[in-house]
Amino acid sequence: MTIGLQSVAALRRPRVLPIYFGVLVFLLYLPLAVLLLFSFNAGTSLSFPMQNLTLHWYQRLFDSPEVLRAARNSMVVALSSGTAATLLGTAVALLLTRFRFRGESFLFALAMLPLVVPVVVLAVALLVLFLAIGIDRSLLTVAIGHTVVALPFVVLIVTARLAGFDRDLEDAAMDLGAHYPKVIAMIILPLIAPAVISAWMVAFTVSLDEFALALFLAGNDATFPVYLFSQLRFASRLPVMIALAVLLMVATLALVLLAEWIRRRGHRNVTDTR
Amino acid sequence: MHPRRATFWALYLLPVGWVGLFFLVPLVLMFALSFRADMQGELLGLWRPTLDQYEAIFAIGSYWRLLAISIGMAFIVALMAVAMAYPVAYFLVFRAGRAAGLCLVILMIPFWTSFLLRVMSWKFLLGSEGVINSFLTYIHAIAQPLGGLLYSRNAVVITLVYVWIPFAALPIYAALQRIDSEMLESASDLGARPWASFWAVTFPLSLPGVLASFFMVFIPTVGEYVTPLLIGGSRGSMFGNIIQDFFTKAANWPRGAALSMVMLAVTLVLVAIAARLVNLRRLLE
Amino acid sequence: MNRALRTLLLVPGLFALAVSACSQKSEDTVVAQTSGELAVLEWAGYDAADFWIDFKNKYPDAKLSFEIGSSDADVYGKMKAGTKADIFHSYTGWLQFYVDEGLVEEIDVSKLKNWDKVPESFRAMGRFNGKQYFLPWDWGFSSILYRTDKVSGTVDSWAALLDPKYKGHISTWDDGPGAVTVSSYIHQYDETNITPEQLVAIKAEWIKQRELNLFYWAGEPELIDGMTNGDVWVAYAWQGTYATLLGKGVPVAYANPKEGRNSWVGVYGIRKGSPNKDLALRFLDEKLATATASNVVNQFYYGVANEEVMKGIADPTLKQAFSVDDPTVLQRTNFTPNLTARQRDDWTAMWTEVKAAP
Repeated sequence: MTIGLQSVAALRRPRVLPIYFGVLVFLLYLPLAVLLLFSFNAGTSLSFPMQNLTLHWYQRLFDSPEVLRAARNSMVVALSSGTAATLLGTAVALLLTRFRFRGESFLFALAMLPLVVPVVVLAVALLVLFLAIGIDRSLLTVAIGHTVVALPFVVLIVTARLAGFDRDLEDAAMDLGAHYPKVIAMIILPLIAPAVISAWMVAFTVSLDEFALALFLAGNDATFPVYLFSQLRFASRLPVMIALAVLLMVATLALVLLAEWIRRRGHRNVTDTR
Repeated sequence: MHPRRATFWALYLLPVGWVGLFFLVPLVLMFALSFRADMQGELLGLWRPTLDQYEAIFAIGSYWRLLAISIGMAFIVALMAVAMAYPVAYFLVFRAGRAAGLCLVILMIPFWTSFLLRVMSWKFLLGSEGVINSFLTYIHAIAQPLGGLLYSRNAVVITLVYVWIPFAALPIYAALQRIDSEMLESASDLGARPWASFWAVTFPLSLPGVLASFFMVFIPTVGEYVTPLLIGGSRGSMFGNIIQDFFTKAANWPRGAALSMVMLAVTLVLVAIAARLVNLRRLLE
Repeated sequence: MNRALRTLLLVPGLFALAVSACSQKSEDTVVAQTSGELAVLEWAGYDAADFWIDFKNKYPDAKLSFEIGSSDADVYGKMKAGTKADIFHSYTGWLQFYVDEGLVEEIDVSKLKNWDKVPESFRAMGRFNGKQYFLPWDWGFSSILYRTDKVSGTVDSWAALLDPKYKGHISTWDDGPGAVTVSSYIHQYDETNITPEQLVAIKAEWIKQRELNLFYWAGEPELIDGMTNGDVWVAYAWQGTYATLLGKGVPVAYANPKEGRNSWVGVYGIRKGSPNKDLALRFLDEKLATATASNVVNQFYYGVANEEVMKGIADPTLKQAFSVDDPTVLQRTNFTPNLTARQRDDWTAMWTEVKAAP
């Protein structure tokens, strides 16, 4: 008995993991902290010594409709392509792990192929395709391109979850007469939800900062990375771009922490009533 | 089997149709373009196919050397990223508890900020008159500013690993969720020490995720060009930069297309060999 | 089909529709009038209203849309791929192909009110076979920019970019034809007629230079940061970088090399087959107008082909950057000649081999 307890305690002991995670988060956020610092700098470049502190750039930000429009465009494209990629990718993952058919390898290779091809090649090729077919370039064409490049990530993440997934629950449901689509929707999907959500987050992230496809396939509506690129030619515009990036990051963090706080309160309420 | 048939086709047609139209067709266009001699004339008209581009590429040894180096770099990056991402995934599944979702999002948020801006920050921090060098000089740890932190192949590898870790953690995170913590408790109840139960139980079950993660990092890194462009300096170019240059600096799409086809072929062969070695199909079931 | 599955399949469709509806809305406002629409294939930054402000004020009903090109090669590629842009913006060195491949319309200069403000040397930049195909607009110098506090003495030759004295602190432009130009200045090659042997020598030279070079810059901000924080001491640079650094108080000087500075000129062309030729011509005319031209000078620190605006520059930093007070500078300057397609292919391929070399 005591041996077992000791080993269980040993499993809990290493504080190494949280520290490791903390260091990683610190390194990831360090450049963002720098950007935050310089968003209050009156000067127009990232260099010491810093000149006067100012909120001027944030003010300018709200006077710049094009900047906000570019940010909105990026959001629209990322949301739609992220969702589309997740749906398509989950479908592929289900096919690969739940069905037996000739052409499984072909499907897997096809789903992985966008990872191999350099994005500039795909961008140029899609440009030629859209011009040849006569589809006008717009946020839609960008979203289409983004869906293609995000697909492999979704497939890999969801497949990793589904591989070797215990079939007992599925078999039981089918024995009870459930149609297979219902089994997918009611049993499989809820169980793999965290993986699907994290896959969606990756697809969303891939799209948000994607530049090459957006440059080639956007019409008049630039996404934020393309807009940023065009503005960087003016050294004077840089601080406003930094202000936007910082604002978005802080807003997202705040929202996320708020959501977590709400969730914890809700959880506490539930446990309190037990 | 009947109801599953309908489901199968429903699941199959949409993704395959999408990828077919918006990926395969453009890819075939590019493949055809690689047999063009130059950019003159109507781009979409018919032209006499020629092997000129491939001949030129095969004659230039330095391209092949760079491809090999890029593959090597991608391999190291993937290895390091996966190794360093594993503890992150483990933390998320077994230590973070209900905060796992929050932790995941916290990892992702930096990537919703422009990569360009973050690299500018890093250059500010690591430049020869940057914060880190100034600090080190100030405390007399170094006499000359450290040059190698930026603009070198090593800097590219380090940056790529840094950027890939959060993404590489995700397939592993997904795979580790299959593991019941009760399984681990039983293992320890039976007297297994933590490390032993990890290697005997946890790691093997997470293997599909580890492999998925490795390929997810390795494959696109072979053709990476953004990071070498921003951080690699003059000697840090990778094969992707050459392809990029032929499209955006040289306006020589046939040559760029041919190089891409070569890279595609080589990468696919490598992946096929690797997939054979780890018996991928068995793992997927 | 199961309801859940149907919903699953509907969602991507709905999203696609939503996104296209959003973009459709913005297209609707652009397409509001069938007459008075122009699509411009433009470089990043120049799509801002300041750089076509005269056109905007004079023709408020005209609708302008911009497609962004990121480089000369990109603009050329998009023109080849069949973009519907009416106007495109390219630079000297890249103009021959548009003429040879019939991609550009002739410009009727008699319809341009501001044409008389353009000096003959600039007009000639856009003339091929006696016909005016391009309208010169923005221009600038390329020379060697250097930190006076890190470099002893004055830099007086392009060879400084290959000088081992500055190892690890040189930055040159990421451009093959640019590198060939520099070598031809140094070795007195005929830039319009580089032989294969010379090209091999040039390649070897720049492979050696790579060991001295810190990074190749593709855009001015990169170089500005590099010179500000002291990483770069000697660089191939345009005068825009010079003016910016002067403005920031960084101790720099812009060389007048004995081989002469280089100068490049940006031009606008009308795409052959454009249905909006008349409006396009008006756009070009207004590009040369005073307010537009002044904005380019004051915001970008680039020159313009409008001589009056150039002579009227008052800011001392800009006067220094453009050597406005030196009337002979343009005579001692080498203007970028136009490449043939073959030269372009060879010189750009040469540069990739420099990057790929062991």
